[in-house]
Amino acid sequence: MSVLTDEVEAPAEDDVRAVTEDVWLALLGEEEVLLPRQVPSGSPFDATGVWSAAVTVSGGWQGVVTVELQEDAARLLGAGMLDLPAAEVADADVADAVGELVNMVGGNLKSLMPGPSVLSLPAVAAGRAVFASDVVEVCRLDLAWRGGPVRVCVHVPRPGSSNGGSR
Amino acid sequence: MKILIADDSRVMRQIVIRTLRQAGHGGHDIVEAENGREALEMVRSEAPDLVLSDWNMPEMNGIDCLAALRASGSEVAFGFVTSEGSEEMRQRAASAGAAFLIAKPFTPEAFDDALRTVL
Repeated sequence: MSVLTDEVEAPAEDDVRAVTEDVWLALLGEEEVLLPRQVPSGSPFDATGVWSAAVTVSGGWQGVVTVELQEDAARLLGAGMLDLPAAEVADADVADAVGELVNMVGGNLKSLMPGPSVLSLPAVAAGRAVFASDVVEVCRLDLAWRGGPVRVCVHVPRPGSSNGGSR
Repeated sequence: MKILIADDSRVMRQIVIRTLRQAGHGGHDIVEAENGREALEMVRSEAPDLVLSDWNMPEMNGIDCLAALRASGSEVAFGFVTSEGSEEMRQRAASAGAAFLIAKPFTPEAFDDALRTVL
């Protein structure tokens, strides 16, 4: 389901949460629970070492879905997905795992929004996510996994921007 | 039976292999491709019985790979394993000649159900 918030169309926060939790549990197992985290609105992602990844949806709905994880959590994610000890997970594996995570979250959110649209390949970085000035945040989930912060965000084009607006 | 797994993510290829095993299909020969173009070449060189392919890949995506296979006369069984499981994508996959589409995140049961349609 999508919602209209101040002229922009965005996935409902409950849907973003449900999709993220479904993907997480499927990748890592039923016992690996994401916990909610209270973070003041507007706060930058507060982990020190960070991996981030983004996918863009273009077409009937336009948006950018990003995932940011603390480095330790990202490495544990890669270890869990590859079924390897964390010490054996190379940076390339971490990037691969974080990219696949955002691909799955973004792909599932795309399916909930108006189409037809196209999902980009994931872009992964060792560092915080960066956002263009012509997009606006419409959904943010701050979560914790094994004590490390995890953030999922959805941005859409700012109304009236040259990036196509929202509707 | 030989299964070709096409996905640009090594992590996801490993998860697909693990899920096949969990679904009771661990005894097959597995070959791997990193994109659609490589998969297209490997269908010719490896003659798999089934292709399990991601949709979004660099070089050549899964739907273009399937179209190229069918255009070349290949009737190899082809299924998508993709994060995009909307009805629109399922219809596009079926129209192009795919036997099934497994949406990520998936379960071993979903793999078993899908593979039973082509085994």
